[in-house]
Amino acid sequence: QEVDMQAQAEGIRTVFSDPTNFNVKHPLYSPWTLWFDSPATKGRNLPQTPVSAFPQTPIPQTPGVAAAQGWMEDIKRVISFDSVEEFWGLYNNIIPPSQLPQKANYYLFKEGIIPAWEDEANKNGGKWSIQLPKDKNRAHVDKMWLYTMLAAIGETFDPAPTQGGGGNAVSLITGVIVSTRPQFYRLSIWTRLAPNTNDDDAALRSRIEGVGKHFKINVLGYSESQRLAGPLATEVEFLSHKDSEKKGKSARKIIA
Amino acid sequence: TDAKRSNVAAPPQSALATARIISDINAVAYPEGVSSPRPELNENAKEGKFRYDREFLLQFMSICKEKPAMLPPLDAIGLEPVDQSSLGLTR
Repeated sequence: QEVDMQAQAEGIRTVFSDPTNFNVKHPLYSPWTLWFDSPATKGRNLPQTPVSAFPQTPIPQTPGVAAAQGWMEDIKRVISFDSVEEFWGLYNNIIPPSQLPQKANYYLFKEGIIPAWEDEANKNGGKWSIQLPKDKNRAHVDKMWLYTMLAAIGETFDPAPTQGGGGNAVSLITGVIVSTRPQFYRLSIWTRLAPNTNDDDAALRSRIEGVGKHFKINVLGYSESQRLAGPLATEVEFLSHKDSEKKGKSARKIIA
Repeated sequence: TDAKRSNVAAPPQSALATARIISDINAVAYPEGVSSPRPELNENAKEGKFRYDREFLLQFMSICKEKPAMLPPLDAIGLEPVDQSSLGLTR
Protein backbone atom coordinates (compact mmCIF):
# COMPACT_ATOMS: atom_id res chain seq x y z
CA GLN A 1 0.00 0.00 0.00
CA GLU A 2 2.90 2.30 0.67
CA VAL A 3 4.06 1.78 -2.89
CA ASP A 4 0.60 2.66 -4.18
CA MET A 5 0.57 5.86 -2.20
CA GLN A 6 3.96 6.81 -3.47
CA ALA A 7 3.06 6.00 -7.05
CA GLN A 8 -0.07 8.06 -6.70
CA ALA A 9 1.82 10.97 -5.20
CA GLU A 10 4.25 10.96 -8.09
CA GLY A 11 1.63 10.74 -10.82
CA ILE A 12 -0.63 13.39 -9.39
CA ARG A 13 -1.07 16.70 -11.15
CA THR A 14 -3.45 19.05 -9.39
CA VAL A 15 -4.86 22.17 -10.92
CA PHE A 16 -2.16 24.05 -9.00
CA SER A 17 0.72 22.31 -10.71
CA ASP A 18 -0.96 22.20 -14.13
CA PRO A 19 -4.07 24.36 -14.61
CA THR A 20 -4.85 22.97 -18.07
CA ASN A 21 -3.70 19.35 -17.89
CA PHE A 22 -4.36 18.38 -14.29
CA ASN A 23 -5.28 14.74 -13.83
CA VAL A 24 -6.86 14.74 -10.37
CA LYS A 25 -9.66 16.78 -8.85
CA HIS A 26 -10.75 17.35 -5.26
CA PRO A 27 -13.97 15.49 -4.48
CA LEU A 28 -16.50 17.20 -2.24
CA TYR A 29 -17.85 15.44 0.85
CA SER A 30 -21.22 15.43 -0.91
CA PRO A 31 -22.37 16.35 -4.41
CA TRP A 32 -24.38 19.59 -4.51
CA THR A 33 -27.11 21.09 -6.68
CA LEU A 34 -27.68 24.82 -7.21
CA TRP A 35 -31.28 25.99 -7.68
CA PHE A 36 -32.56 29.45 -8.48
CA ASP A 37 -35.81 31.34 -8.56
CA SER A 38 -36.90 34.91 -9.12
CA PRO A 39 -40.04 36.67 -10.33
CA ALA A 40 -38.72 35.99 -13.84
CA THR A 41 -38.88 32.21 -13.31
CA LYS A 42 -42.40 32.26 -11.89
CA GLY A 43 -45.71 31.68 -13.64
CA ARG A 44 -44.24 31.92 -17.05
CA ASN A 45 -43.07 29.32 -19.48
CA LEU A 46 -39.43 29.82 -20.02
CA PRO A 47 -37.85 28.85 -23.30
CA GLN A 48 -37.11 25.16 -23.35
CA THR A 49 -33.49 24.35 -22.79
CA PRO A 50 -32.19 21.20 -24.43
CA VAL A 51 -32.47 18.32 -21.98
CA SER A 52 -28.86 17.48 -22.62
CA ALA A 53 -27.78 20.89 -21.38
CA PHE A 54 -30.25 21.27 -18.54
CA PRO A 55 -31.34 18.30 -16.45
CA GLN A 56 -35.02 18.52 -15.70
CA THR A 57 -36.22 19.21 -12.20
CA PRO A 58 -36.67 15.76 -10.72
CA ILE A 59 -40.16 14.59 -9.90
CA PRO A 60 -40.53 14.40 -6.13
CA GLN A 61 -40.19 10.82 -4.95
CA THR A 62 -42.18 10.58 -1.74
CA PRO A 63 -45.78 11.43 -0.86
CA GLY A 64 -44.76 14.16 1.56
CA VAL A 65 -42.74 15.77 -1.14
CA ALA A 66 -45.67 15.86 -3.53
CA ALA A 67 -46.98 18.76 -1.47
CA ALA A 68 -43.85 20.65 -2.37
CA GLN A 69 -44.44 20.22 -6.04
CA GLY A 70 -46.18 23.54 -6.50
CA TRP A 71 -43.43 25.25 -4.55
CA MET A 72 -40.78 23.57 -6.67
CA GLU A 73 -42.45 24.36 -9.99
CA ASP A 74 -40.94 27.83 -10.11
CA ILE A 75 -37.54 26.84 -8.79
CA LYS A 76 -35.07 26.10 -11.54
CA ARG A 77 -32.31 23.60 -11.19
CA VAL A 78 -29.14 25.27 -12.40
CA ILE A 79 -26.43 22.61 -12.13
CA SER A 80 -24.93 19.86 -9.99
CA PHE A 81 -21.26 19.45 -9.13
CA ASP A 82 -19.12 17.22 -6.96
CA SER A 83 -15.62 18.66 -6.96
CA VAL A 84 -13.89 21.78 -5.71
CA GLU A 85 -12.71 22.56 -9.23
CA GLU A 86 -16.26 22.40 -10.65
CA PHE A 87 -17.60 24.60 -7.85
CA TRP A 88 -15.22 27.40 -8.79
CA GLY A 89 -15.97 27.03 -12.50
CA LEU A 90 -19.61 27.63 -11.61
CA TYR A 91 -18.87 30.44 -9.16
CA ASN A 92 -16.77 32.29 -11.71
CA ASN A 93 -19.52 32.11 -14.35
CA ILE A 94 -22.63 32.99 -12.41
CA ILE A 95 -24.16 36.13 -10.95
CA PRO A 96 -23.39 37.10 -7.35
CA PRO A 97 -26.29 37.91 -4.98
CA SER A 98 -25.65 41.66 -5.14
CA GLN A 99 -26.56 41.58 -8.84
CA LEU A 100 -29.64 39.41 -8.55
CA PRO A 101 -33.06 40.98 -9.07
CA GLN A 102 -35.31 41.53 -6.07
CA LYS A 103 -37.15 38.53 -4.66
CA ALA A 104 -34.62 36.09 -6.03
CA ASN A 105 -33.12 33.10 -4.24
CA TYR A 106 -30.17 30.80 -4.70
CA TYR A 107 -30.59 27.41 -3.05
CA LEU A 108 -27.46 25.27 -2.77
CA PHE A 109 -28.53 21.84 -1.52
CA LYS A 110 -26.99 18.42 -1.33
CA GLU A 111 -27.84 16.42 -4.40
CA GLY A 112 -31.08 14.50 -3.96
CA ILE A 113 -32.50 16.96 -1.40
CA ILE A 114 -34.94 19.51 -2.76
CA PRO A 115 -35.04 22.94 -1.12
CA ALA A 116 -38.41 22.42 0.50
CA TRP A 117 -39.55 21.64 4.06
CA GLU A 118 -41.35 18.59 2.78
CA ASP A 119 -38.23 16.76 1.69
CA GLU A 120 -37.47 13.77 3.90
CA ALA A 121 -34.09 15.27 4.76
CA ASN A 122 -35.61 18.61 5.81
CA LYS A 123 -38.95 17.77 7.37
CA ASN A 124 -37.54 17.24 10.89
CA GLY A 125 -35.04 20.05 10.57
CA GLY A 126 -34.76 23.78 10.87
CA LYS A 127 -32.65 26.69 9.82
CA TRP A 128 -30.15 29.20 11.06
CA SER A 129 -30.75 32.51 9.37
CA ILE A 130 -29.83 36.15 9.45
CA GLN A 131 -31.52 39.09 7.81
CA LEU A 132 -29.33 42.00 6.76
CA PRO A 133 -30.45 45.48 5.65
CA LYS A 134 -29.68 45.84 1.99
CA ASP A 135 -28.24 49.32 1.91
CA LYS A 136 -25.60 48.58 4.55
CA ASN A 137 -24.69 45.15 3.24
CA ARG A 138 -24.68 45.39 -0.55
CA ALA A 139 -20.89 45.46 -0.44
CA HIS A 140 -20.64 42.47 1.93
CA VAL A 141 -23.34 40.07 0.81
CA ASP A 142 -21.36 38.47 -2.01
CA LYS A 143 -18.51 37.56 0.32
CA MET A 144 -20.90 36.38 3.02
CA TRP A 145 -22.66 34.11 0.51
CA LEU A 146 -19.35 32.81 -0.85
CA TYR A 147 -18.10 32.00 2.64
CA THR A 148 -21.43 30.37 3.45
CA MET A 149 -21.16 28.16 0.37
CA LEU A 150 -17.53 27.31 1.15
CA ALA A 151 -18.39 26.22 4.69
CA ALA A 152 -21.21 24.11 3.25
CA ILE A 153 -19.29 22.35 0.47
CA GLY A 154 -16.14 22.11 2.62
CA GLU A 155 -18.36 20.55 5.30
CA THR A 156 -17.02 22.71 8.11
CA PHE A 157 -20.32 24.00 9.55
CA ASP A 158 -20.86 20.80 11.45
CA PRO A 159 -17.77 20.02 13.49
CA ALA A 160 -18.69 16.35 13.62
CA PRO A 161 -20.36 15.31 10.38
CA THR A 162 -19.25 11.72 10.79
CA GLN A 163 -19.88 11.47 14.51
CA GLY A 164 -22.65 9.73 16.33
CA GLY A 165 -23.86 6.35 15.18
CA GLY A 166 -21.40 4.49 13.03
CA GLY A 167 -21.28 4.32 9.29
CA ASN A 168 -24.59 5.91 8.43
CA ALA A 169 -24.03 9.06 10.46
CA VAL A 170 -24.59 12.08 8.27
CA SER A 171 -23.86 15.76 8.36
CA LEU A 172 -26.50 18.05 9.84
CA ILE A 173 -26.40 20.43 6.90
CA THR A 174 -28.80 19.91 4.00
CA GLY A 175 -28.42 23.22 2.19
CA VAL A 176 -27.81 26.96 2.24
CA ILE A 177 -29.89 29.80 0.79
CA VAL A 178 -29.40 33.44 -0.08
CA SER A 179 -32.48 35.57 -0.66
CA THR A 180 -32.74 39.09 -2.04
CA ARG A 181 -35.69 41.23 -1.00
CA PRO A 182 -36.44 44.89 -1.67
CA GLN A 183 -35.07 46.01 1.70
CA PHE A 184 -32.85 43.19 2.89
CA TYR A 185 -30.83 40.05 2.22
CA ARG A 186 -31.31 36.80 4.08
CA LEU A 187 -28.80 33.99 4.45
CA SER A 188 -29.95 30.61 5.76
CA ILE A 189 -28.40 27.27 6.67
CA TRP A 190 -30.80 24.34 6.71
CA THR A 191 -30.25 21.47 9.08
CA ARG A 192 -31.49 17.90 8.96
CA LEU A 193 -32.60 17.91 12.58
CA ALA A 194 -33.88 20.45 15.09
CA PRO A 195 -33.66 20.02 18.87
CA ASN A 196 -36.75 19.65 21.01
CA THR A 197 -37.00 21.74 24.12
CA ASN A 198 -36.69 18.76 26.42
CA ASP A 199 -33.33 17.84 27.85
CA ASP A 200 -33.04 14.62 25.85
CA ASP A 201 -31.87 16.75 22.99
CA ALA A 202 -29.01 18.46 24.80
CA ALA A 203 -26.38 16.89 22.57
CA LEU A 204 -28.19 17.82 19.38
CA ARG A 205 -28.90 21.28 20.70
CA SER A 206 -25.24 21.90 21.37
CA ARG A 207 -24.32 20.56 17.93
CA ILE A 208 -26.88 22.89 16.32
CA GLU A 209 -25.58 25.78 18.41
CA GLY A 210 -22.09 25.00 17.18
CA VAL A 211 -23.30 25.43 13.60
CA GLY A 212 -24.84 28.79 14.50
CA LYS A 213 -21.70 30.04 16.23
CA HIS A 214 -19.51 28.97 13.33
CA PHE A 215 -21.89 30.77 10.96
CA LYS A 216 -21.92 33.97 12.99
CA ILE A 217 -18.24 34.19 13.90
CA ASN A 218 -16.20 32.36 11.25
CA VAL A 219 -18.41 32.75 8.21
CA LEU A 220 -20.10 36.11 8.69
CA GLY A 221 -17.23 37.61 10.66
CA TYR A 222 -19.12 38.96 13.68
CA SER A 223 -17.81 38.70 17.20
CA GLU A 224 -19.47 36.24 19.54
CA SER A 225 -21.07 38.88 21.73
CA GLN A 226 -22.09 41.24 18.94
CA ARG A 227 -25.81 42.02 18.83
CA LEU A 228 -27.14 42.35 15.32
CA ALA A 229 -30.88 42.94 15.53
CA GLY A 230 -32.14 46.33 14.37
CA PRO A 231 -34.30 47.89 11.71
CA LEU A 232 -34.62 45.26 8.96
CA ALA A 233 -31.94 43.19 10.71
CA THR A 234 -32.14 40.07 12.86
CA GLU A 235 -29.78 38.15 15.07
CA VAL A 236 -28.35 34.90 13.78
CA GLU A 237 -31.28 32.77 14.88
CA PHE A 238 -32.48 29.21 14.64
CA LEU A 239 -36.04 28.09 14.11
CA SER A 240 -37.31 24.60 13.37
CA HIS A 241 -39.35 24.28 10.17
CA LYS A 242 -42.27 23.05 12.28
CA ASP A 243 -42.17 26.26 14.31
CA SER A 244 -41.81 28.33 11.15
CA GLU A 245 -45.06 26.81 9.89
CA LYS A 246 -46.86 27.98 13.01
CA LYS A 247 -46.09 31.54 11.99
CA GLY A 248 -45.22 33.53 15.06
CA LYS A 249 -47.14 31.31 17.43
CA SER A 250 -44.81 30.70 20.35
CA ALA A 251 -41.80 30.27 18.13
CA ARG A 252 -38.83 29.01 20.10
CA LYS A 253 -35.81 30.61 18.63
CA ILE A 254 -32.22 29.92 19.51
CA ILE A 255 -29.96 32.96 19.19
CA ALA A 256 -26.30 32.52 18.30
CA THR B 1 0.81 9.98 -24.28
CA ASP B 2 1.21 13.47 -25.71
CA ALA B 3 2.51 12.16 -29.00
CA LYS B 4 0.54 14.52 -31.17
CA ARG B 5 0.17 17.73 -29.29
CA SER B 6 -1.04 20.21 -31.85
CA ASN B 7 -1.14 23.98 -31.80
CA VAL B 8 -4.85 23.85 -31.23
CA ALA B 9 -5.64 23.80 -27.54
CA ALA B 10 -7.54 20.78 -26.31
CA PRO B 11 -11.18 21.41 -25.47
CA PRO B 12 -10.94 23.32 -22.19
CA GLN B 13 -13.20 20.95 -20.28
CA SER B 14 -11.10 17.89 -21.08
CA ALA B 15 -8.95 17.99 -17.96
CA LEU B 16 -11.95 18.42 -15.68
CA ALA B 17 -13.87 15.70 -17.49
CA THR B 18 -11.07 13.16 -17.35
CA ALA B 19 -9.40 14.03 -14.05
CA ARG B 20 -9.84 11.31 -11.48
CA ILE B 21 -10.99 11.80 -7.94
CA ILE B 22 -8.25 12.11 -5.34
CA SER B 23 -8.54 9.05 -3.15
CA ASP B 24 -6.02 9.94 -0.44
CA ILE B 25 -5.97 13.63 0.33
CA ASN B 26 -2.88 13.23 2.52
CA ALA B 27 -0.88 11.83 -0.39
CA VAL B 28 -1.20 15.00 -2.43
CA ALA B 29 1.84 17.24 -2.53
CA TYR B 30 1.00 20.83 -3.43
CA PRO B 31 3.41 23.25 -5.06
CA GLU B 32 5.28 25.64 -2.83
CA GLY B 33 3.04 28.44 -1.66
CA VAL B 34 -0.14 26.36 -1.85
CA SER B 35 -1.48 25.13 1.49
CA SER B 36 -2.92 21.67 2.06
CA PRO B 37 -6.32 21.33 3.69
CA ARG B 38 -6.07 21.54 7.48
CA PRO B 39 -5.09 17.98 8.41
CA GLU B 40 -7.43 17.69 11.40
CA LEU B 41 -10.41 17.95 9.06
CA ASN B 42 -9.54 14.66 7.39
CA GLU B 43 -8.04 12.61 10.19
CA ASN B 44 -10.38 9.67 9.73
CA ALA B 45 -11.55 10.48 6.26
CA LYS B 46 -13.12 7.77 4.19
CA GLU B 47 -12.08 7.58 0.58
CA GLY B 48 -13.39 10.58 -1.33
CA LYS B 49 -15.15 12.05 1.73
CA PHE B 50 -12.98 15.05 2.47
CA ARG B 51 -13.58 18.29 4.33
CA TYR B 52 -11.86 21.49 3.29
CA ASP B 53 -11.24 24.74 5.14
CA ARG B 54 -12.01 28.07 3.52
CA GLU B 55 -8.40 29.15 3.10
CA PHE B 56 -7.67 25.98 1.17
CA LEU B 57 -10.74 26.37 -1.04
CA LEU B 58 -10.09 30.04 -1.81
CA GLN B 59 -6.81 29.11 -3.47
CA PHE B 60 -8.76 27.68 -6.43
CA MET B 61 -10.75 30.84 -7.10
CA SER B 62 -8.35 32.48 -9.54
CA ILE B 63 -7.43 29.21 -11.28
CA CYS B 64 -10.70 27.38 -11.95
CA LYS B 65 -12.54 29.78 -14.23
CA GLU B 66 -13.77 27.40 -16.86
CA LYS B 67 -17.49 27.68 -17.53
CA PRO B 68 -19.13 24.34 -16.70
CA ALA B 69 -20.22 22.45 -19.82
CA MET B 70 -23.55 21.67 -18.16
CA LEU B 71 -24.37 25.26 -17.19
CA PRO B 72 -27.55 26.29 -19.03
CA PRO B 73 -27.69 29.73 -20.65
CA LEU B 74 -28.44 31.93 -17.65
CA ASP B 75 -31.04 34.04 -19.39
CA ALA B 76 -32.95 30.86 -20.29
CA ILE B 77 -33.64 30.26 -16.60
CA GLY B 78 -34.35 33.89 -15.80
CA LEU B 79 -30.96 34.39 -14.19
CA GLU B 80 -29.98 37.80 -15.45
CA PRO B 81 -28.13 40.53 -13.58
CA VAL B 82 -30.15 43.60 -12.77
CA ASP B 83 -29.18 46.82 -14.43
CA GLN B 84 -26.63 48.18 -11.99
CA SER B 85 -27.56 51.78 -12.80
CA SER B 86 -31.06 51.09 -11.51
CA LEU B 87 -29.59 50.43 -8.08
CA GLY B 88 -28.65 54.05 -7.87
CA LEU B 89 -25.02 53.23 -7.24
CA THR B 90 -22.64 56.06 -7.64
CA ARG B 91 -19.09 55.00 -8.29
